[in-house]
Amino acid sequence: MRKVAQAALAAAFMLGAAQMAGPAAAQQTLKFGALYPFSGGLALLGDESFRGLELAAEERNAAGGINGKQITLVKGDAVDPNQAVGEARRLTSVENVAVIFGTYSSSLSLAATQVAELAGIPYFELGAVSDPITERGFKYVFRSNATAKDFSVQMVDAIPNALAPALGKKPEELKIGIIHEDSLYGQTMAGYQKSRAAEKKLNVVEVLPYSAKSVDLTPVVLRLKSANVDIVLQTSYQNDTVLFFRQMKDQGFKPKAIIGAGGGYSLRDTMLAVGPENMEGALDVDFTQYKTNPKVAPGMEEFLKKYKAKYNSDPRSGHSLANYMGARVFFDAIAAAKDLKADSIRAEVMKVDIPVGQTPTGWGAKFSEQGQNTRAVPFLMQWQGGELVTVFPPDAAVAKMKTGVGTN
Amino acid sequence: MDVFIQLLINGILLGSMYAIISVGLTMIFGIVRVVNFAHGEFLMVGMYGAYLLAAKFGLHPYAAAVPIVLLLFAMGAIVQRFIIQPLLSADEHIQIFATVGLSTALVNLALLLFGADLYAVPASSVQRTVMVGGFSLVIGQIVMFVCALALVAGLHFFMQATPLGRAIRATAQNRTAALLMGVRVDRIYVISFGIGAACVGLASALVMPLYPVSPTIGTYFVLTAFVVVVLGGMRSMYGAFFGAMLIGIVDSLSGYYIAPDLKEVVYFAIFIAILIFKPTGLFGLGRGTE
Repeated sequence: MRKVAQAALAAAFMLGAAQMAGPAAAQQTLKFGALYPFSGGLALLGDESFRGLELAAEERNAAGGINGKQITLVKGDAVDPNQAVGEARRLTSVENVAVIFGTYSSSLSLAATQVAELAGIPYFELGAVSDPITERGFKYVFRSNATAKDFSVQMVDAIPNALAPALGKKPEELKIGIIHEDSLYGQTMAGYQKSRAAEKKLNVVEVLPYSAKSVDLTPVVLRLKSANVDIVLQTSYQNDTVLFFRQMKDQGFKPKAIIGAGGGYSLRDTMLAVGPENMEGALDVDFTQYKTNPKVAPGMEEFLKKYKAKYNSDPRSGHSLANYMGARVFFDAIAAAKDLKADSIRAEVMKVDIPVGQTPTGWGAKFSEQGQNTRAVPFLMQWQGGELVTVFPPDAAVAKMKTGVGTN
Repeated sequence: MDVFIQLLINGILLGSMYAIISVGLTMIFGIVRVVNFAHGEFLMVGMYGAYLLAAKFGLHPYAAAVPIVLLLFAMGAIVQRFIIQPLLSADEHIQIFATVGLSTALVNLALLLFGADLYAVPASSVQRTVMVGGFSLVIGQIVMFVCALALVAGLHFFMQATPLGRAIRATAQNRTAALLMGVRVDRIYVISFGIGAACVGLASALVMPLYPVSPTIGTYFVLTAFVVVVLGGMRSMYGAFFGAMLIGIVDSLSGYYIAPDLKEVVYFAIFIAILIFKPTGLFGLGRGTE
């Protein structure tokens, strides 16, 4: 018995020694935090987002890392805002990461960025869309992706730029209905849409908020139908998108076009639940998806190849691509900085100047004083034959835009 | 005027869905006297069941109703026997916490098994609409209306005309007296809870072709179901049925004529007003019966 104990003790010492040797080897690595929801209800797209960052890091490491040092990603699991704060604290104080990448969800990002800012650690947001993330005057928070306002502006601008010419009408002749779920997300988006429509002098005839948990949207449908609405702008989650499309068909409402704000519109499950024939022609503004002209998104095809090789499946959404694009831009900026101090990194991020159409998402990169990328423009996409294809702007398009919704 | 009639039709059809979901809750509420907060999750379980039967075995959701009703009966009976029964003599709050706990556990179990995505059964003729005199009706909703009527009538017959039904009514009226008369109260509770759950099982098979299922789908329906049950006077099947119709119609009309996001304000205002003037609900038996 004693011998066993001695052996165990010896083994424990050796294990300890091996761990002691760890930090010496780690001198050649850089620790970056990766804060995403890896479990809970947001886990699917949280993990999808992380994959983009992971691929970018592996690619960078294969090419020699950042100034000869390999990148090690330290995961933080942010299930809800409280945990996002806890994990951000752990990453900054226990793991001593140099920078943090994240976060997919806006509420998680809003919470975690506060911790990083106070700790003086740069925080790179690659996917959350809420505008206030980069409107709070934080010095070390940078965002590579488009914001909710960019989405709304794109949705409204699609009417004079793409739809009115396709329908052969003047933009102000078209009757527009804005419908949105009534939580903060829908309210914010609809607010931007209303003000943009007013700027463009468009004719908004109905603005209808509804609860995303509503089990009956026929009143909304009939209001739009009675007002003879031509174009519907919808900001929605998944269930209410499905319900709206089904009940629109039930009630015989046939608008000339529907434009969704990402969210429920981009997901394949939504299309399957609605039925490809009913979803046909629905427009959608969102992060770059994979049916985009590769000429305006150099690197997207290589990304797809690497993704399939590593995860053995197609990407589940465009989130991984957006994170991949942002991570690459920020890795370059970090590599260019003279050291890993937050101010040195900020100085390099401010120098980034990539024209539109030069990254795998088709976006450019130029950061405002607030840390927001001003060259991230979401594209207009459309469901055609069960696929979400980019239809506008013309140089990014892979298919011609159709008008009308549903095939019957 | 056309729009008004269409709204009325939509309201009645919506009401029949609320009715068919609420009947089971009325049963559990009225007889076992347990506020079952997991009712919506029973619906969710039934819907996943109907989805799996449709996806794996190609069964039409309506055909799936039979196994789902049996499954939900068993589930309800087990919940009553092993969760509620040990707590029957405990404080009412404890029972409520138990059902809330059950509800949370079921939602998270569904998240674990199915993820947060939604699933729909393949399109079928049930989703189609028929035009009657220029008004559109969804076939699945008409079926729901007929089933809701049949269910209420069937339960009424069962309660009035069968020995078991009489025993259930006796238990609901006075538990102690029923016990003294030789009614096995515990068993009656298990059966009643089972029947209540079986009703929601039927509802889930009828709802499945019209609404895709996700782990939180129960929360979409359950609040309205509670309103319907209280409005109907807690244990009256007819009360629940007419309460559901009233809510459905108010829902439809106020969503159109006032605003879609204010319809809940309207029907809760009506709900409160009815309770002020008739505290035992529309079909309650008067003060002191509860």
